[in-house]
This record gives sequence, C-alpha cells and structure tokens, in this order.
Amino acid sequence: MGLEIGTNPMEIDAIAARLVADFGDELRDVRVQEPDTIVARADKGVLKDLAGRLKGHPEIGYETLNFVAGVDEVRHIESIYHVYSWKTNTYLELHVELPRAKAEVDTVTGVWPAANWHEREAWDMVGINYLGHPDLRRILLKDDFIGHPLRKDYVDLIENHPHV
Amino acid sequence: MSDASPERSGLRYPKLEHFSEPNVITTTADFIFSWARSHSVFPFTYGLACCAIEMLSSGFARYDVARYGMEVFRPTPRQCDLMIVAGTLNEKMAPVLKRLYDQMAEPKWVISMGACATSGGPFYDGYNVVNGVDKVVPVDVYIPGCPPRPEALFQGLLELQVKIQQHRFVAEKPAIAADASAAVAPAPAKET
Amino acid sequence: MFEQFDTPEPDEAVKLALRRIDEATARGEGSDVEGLAFNEVVVNMGPQHPSTHGVLRLVVTLDGELVKDVIPVIGYLHRCKEKLAEKRTYFQYIPIVDRTEYVAGINCEWGYVMTVEKLMGIRPTRRAEFIRVITGELSRIASHLVAVGTFTADLAPLGTAMVFYMFRDREGILDLLEELTGARMMFNYFRFGGVRYDLPDGWTSKCRDFMKRMPKMIDEYESLVDDNAVFLQRCMGKGVISQQDVMDYGITGPNARASAVALDLRRTRPYSVYPELDFEVCTLDHGDIFDRYKVRMMELRESVRIVEQCLDMLPKGPVQLGSLRAPYVITPPPGSCYVGQENPRGEFGTYIESDGSRYPYRLKFRDPCFCNLQLFPKLLSGNKIADAVAISGSIDLVLGGIDR
Repeated sequence: MGLEIGTNPMEIDAIAARLVADFGDELRDVRVQEPDTIVARADKGVLKDLAGRLKGHPEIGYETLNFVAGVDEVRHIESIYHVYSWKTNTYLELHVELPRAKAEVDTVTGVWPAANWHEREAWDMVGINYLGHPDLRRILLKDDFIGHPLRKDYVDLIENHPHV
Repeated sequence: MSDASPERSGLRYPKLEHFSEPNVITTTADFIFSWARSHSVFPFTYGLACCAIEMLSSGFARYDVARYGMEVFRPTPRQCDLMIVAGTLNEKMAPVLKRLYDQMAEPKWVISMGACATSGGPFYDGYNVVNGVDKVVPVDVYIPGCPPRPEALFQGLLELQVKIQQHRFVAEKPAIAADASAAVAPAPAKET
Repeated sequence: MFEQFDTPEPDEAVKLALRRIDEATARGEGSDVEGLAFNEVVVNMGPQHPSTHGVLRLVVTLDGELVKDVIPVIGYLHRCKEKLAEKRTYFQYIPIVDRTEYVAGINCEWGYVMTVEKLMGIRPTRRAEFIRVITGELSRIASHLVAVGTFTADLAPLGTAMVFYMFRDREGILDLLEELTGARMMFNYFRFGGVRYDLPDGWTSKCRDFMKRMPKMIDEYESLVDDNAVFLQRCMGKGVISQQDVMDYGITGPNARASAVALDLRRTRPYSVYPELDFEVCTLDHGDIFDRYKVRMMELRESVRIVEQCLDMLPKGPVQLGSLRAPYVITPPPGSCYVGQENPRGEFGTYIESDGSRYPYRLKFRDPCFCNLQLFPKLLSGNKIADAVAISGSIDLVLGGIDR
C-alpha cells in the first residue's frame, strides 16, 4: 500500500529508448550505465520544463531527487541532477553544462523540493547561481567566506582564516 | 558609614596570600584545595566530532570516568571547570569556542583531545579548518590519537590532575635570590 | 573580559527568522495578547547543545512552547572533505571516508570503495564480500545502539538506563572489530578488491557467541522502555513523516521504512552478497517517533540473523585481489559513477569523477542525514519544544555526514 517500488519494471535499455522517444530533442547523449543508471545531457534553457515533465512522466516518473552536484570542469561548469524513479527503480543522471563566466541555471526547487539545500550547497561550493531559488545563501561555510572552494582556481585566502 | 571591605569595617580576614612564605597553613590549604579541585572536575562536553563518541564511551559503563570523580558532564559552560575539546575546529565554530571558553568561571582548564583539536589532524590542509584549538584558547593537556582510546583520555585526565595539584597559594621563594640581589644591586660604597 | 555578556550580532539565520516574524506580523498574524506586537521569540539552540547530537544549530521561533519555525544552520563541522579528495590519492582517502559518518565507519568506507571498484571494473574476492557484510552489519548494530541510546538519553537527560546498557553492548562489538581491524572506531579496513586483514583465529566463535547473546539483550532493551507510559506518550503520534515527504525530500533508511516505504538498498538495489542472504526489510505503518525507534530495534535482530548466516556461509580463499596488493596507487579510467549503499541512516552514496590520474577529479557524497535534515522545518513546526528534541533524536543525525 502507498509508495511502492518497482511497480513498472522495465529493462534499462527499454527505459533509455523510451526517454529518447519522449524527450528526444531535449535529452541528448542518452546512454546506459550498468546496471540501473541512465546518463543524459540537457541544455540549461530547457531544464525547468524538462524537469517537470520527467517528474510527471506516467510510466517512468522521476519523483525523487537524490542530489545536485556542481562540478568545475575547467572549460565549463556542470550541474548534475541525480534523480530516482520509484516505478522502475532506476536512476537518471542529468548533466547540465553552464558557461564558466556566467554559471546560472533555473532552480528546480519547484519540481523537487529536496533541491533547496542541494542547490544551496552547489552555490556555496562551486558558485552556480540558481535563478529563482527561494533562499540562496551559504549553507556549509560561514556567511562572509570569500570564494567558492570547489572551483579549480580557488586560492586559499588569508581573509578566510581569521584564526591562524 | 561602614565600608564593605574587611579592613575598613574592622574585621580582619586572614588571607593566605598575606603570608610571605609557605608554611604549614598554606601547604595544608594547598593540599585541600588541590585535592578537592583535581578529584571533582566537572567536564564540559565540547564534543564536536568523532572524538566525542569516544568521550561518551569513556563516560559509560566499561571505561568509567566516574572513578576519577569526573562523571558530572555538564552541557553549560557556567557550571564547568574543564573543557574537553574533542573534534575538529573550523573557522565557523571558532568564535563559538572562544565565547564558551569566556563563559567558564576561573579556575578553568582545557584539554585538547584528538589529533584534530591538537593540530588539525587529517584535515590540516582544509580551507576551513583551524589547525589546533590552541590558536583560540590556551590548552593545558594535549591528547594525541585519532580518536584517542578512552584509556588515553584517562591518561590525559590524570596528567591534568597532576597539573591542577601544582597550584600554590604562596610560592616558595627561589633559593638563588640572595646571591642574585647581591650581584645586580649597585654597590653603594663606590659612590661615597 | 566582558565580551561574554555582549549579545552577539544577529547573523544570517537569525536575521531570516526575524524577517519571517516581521512578515507574519505584517500579514496580520501578530500577537493576540494586548500590548504585545508579536508573540514569537527567537531562541538559538546553539551549536553546542546536549541534545542536538553534534554541532547542529537550530534557530527556533517559539510562540510560548509551540515551535512555529525552525531554521537549521549547519557547517560547524565542515572539514572540506570534498576538496581534500582532490589532494589525496584514492587509497589515502579511505581513512578520511571513515570519518564522514563516524558512528558507522565501515558502511561509509564500503560506499566509497564500491564506487571506486565500479569505476575500475573490478570485483572483490568472495571471502572478502562475506567479511564485508559481517563487518558492515556489526557496524550497523553498533550504530543503531548509539542512535537509540542517545535518543533515549535525550528524552530524560541521561536519566534512562537504556543508554548505559546499549553502550555496554556496543563495547562488545567494538572489541570484535578491534581484534579484526586494529581500531575501535576509525577502521581503515576496506581495500579496493577486498579487505585488509583476514579473520584471526577464534574470531568466528567469539562473533557467534556474541550473536547468540544479542537477541536476549535486545529483549532487555525493549523491556526497559516499551511499557513506560511517559515514553509512549512522548513518542506515539508525534513527528509523523508522510510518504509524500519521503518522495519529495529523498528520505531513506529507517526513517522511510517507519512510514511503510519498503526502501532498503540491500533489497531494491542489491550489492555484494545480499541477494544470497535471507533477511526481511523491516517496515512499520505510522511513521512517528515510536515506529522509527521500533524499526531500528527490528533491524538489530535482522542484522544478527545476517551475521549468523554469513558466518555459516563463509568460504575459504584470499581476502584481497592478488593484482592489487601494495603498492596502492591506482588510476581508474576516466569516467564517472555513483553507487549508493545502505548506511544505518539511509542511502549513503559517493559520486566520483575520475580523469585518469591518481587523484579523484571530483568526489561528492550523497549523505542521508543531509537529506533527512531538510525535513526539519516541516517536521518540527506545530510541536512543542520538548517534542522537537525527541523528534530530532529519532531522525538520527550525525553531523559528520551532514557537514562533510
């Protein structure tokens, strides 16, 4: 009763094919990572709409957000969304590339409420600005910390170390 | 108009510090105060991280810190003598540590438990980690380990007991003073 | 000298709480008492608090004793683990992963080691898999003992005997693990492709004896509190996590299982040798504090069953992959991967991106307590402050994982 896991068991390749069929132009580079993860890319412009449709898909609804990770690939910055589908018991890893000079993307807090803190952490660590986030402020570091530590060009500043 | 101070109001309270030399009264007082202070220390549980779990274990049944009179762990600094900093200190927590240390009443001691509190530990090169609690508060005993076993914590507590027992109301004058004063005092005979 | 008496400047969290009070007052929800502008008081359950299980700060907006709003402030134990991963080799990082959720170190190591093994495409030896399950379940038992013990210690400050009994038995488990790995808490035991040490002589019989004693001891714990009217009144019906919350916030572990969601990664995404073992996923219906406590006690019994089965099924063989004995500098091929593992608190996963060098390029932990803590404002609002302490104890937070 209630929340069931795996009510619609599908082969992972079938899921990938279905995603390509339904979201073909928005989800690019869909590939399967054994045993139960699909990795795909999306553009930042379509993210919000795509997220809503992924969550509400009748057969493979990705209803839970596991985490949002910010990664500084030197040429660009990526925001990775790792979501879980209860019906098929599989994961989807969505990579969104952002230009390094202006790392901004729409928030998905309206779609997955769990994104609230995960996006705050990505802002804190990597400096990705989530537009429309209800409360985007630092979460793990102190409020007057300068810089975003998980960027590859982060230099440890003396201002961040009053107790040394 | 009576003033509050004992000298003005005519009552004379002998204070131990008025003695110029240690004698049987001050040494007995030293003994009593040291015995009382060192055997009934109230620790302040400043458990930050993993070492806090070992500190908890040392308070429970197998390693029983009550044997040393220190089972009264109080969470408020106002009622404590000893602050055991167990865990990594980082820049966000350091002002809190300073504030809580200030809120403890004298006499107070600090034990830095574990490698992180002593020197930053395995996280020494983190951008947010303070390399040692002694950058914020003065530390009396350092206990190495990651985490230190409860027995190691007990050894640190016993060392602290020895340190507490070194308190003296009136210190002995060093024996060398007579010769030194003769050496540094100007010889008045020359001026006449 | 007198700085201790100064009221500190309100920081971001307190300012946010005060702003919310102002907004509520402007909306007309101000005080219903004559002469008061607003009812609410902002109280700081500061980073150092006996009941917050670590350095968690809760900025609580109270109306009398009723909690209106909670703003959790974390980061007081942020130890830069994800940045340190970029400066340590994969092998040097294993002891640091131990310290993430320090109460259940083996399970955290397992999550990390599994991810690296998947990146490298290797599988551990069969004997090592069984030893991993045994030590993982022993660590789970120890972790649940700490969790439930400190939870009951919060309800009456160290006034319950339960925590003393539980820590006494936890020492027995730590003895077993110390004889095997050499350390009481930070084990540094798992290696890529196996484990570091084989079981010493006589260890299996000691473990079996301990597992025979455990069910009686679990009965003893339950007999201490299950009939206590005060305990039941404080715990039943409070702090209910709904299934919608489980879906929205990614709640996993015993917190989800107490709300009738049968999410156990050992069954839904099996790893290691769990498919061959016979155990049940413990779920209960109500989702309140009492059910979360009861699910953990049920899981203790299931863990004992798992350990006994593994001891019976233990095969002979090496415990490390021959190709991966020292020197331990591994360079996984470029790529990325995420593997989740069932920690005592939920799904603990590591997302690793490798660029082919000796150091990870990016390592991200998916921590169960971080996701569980997000539910706090919703869960604590509307309860009394005493219930807030009970609820936060039952969610079982470990700040090392939240702050990483």
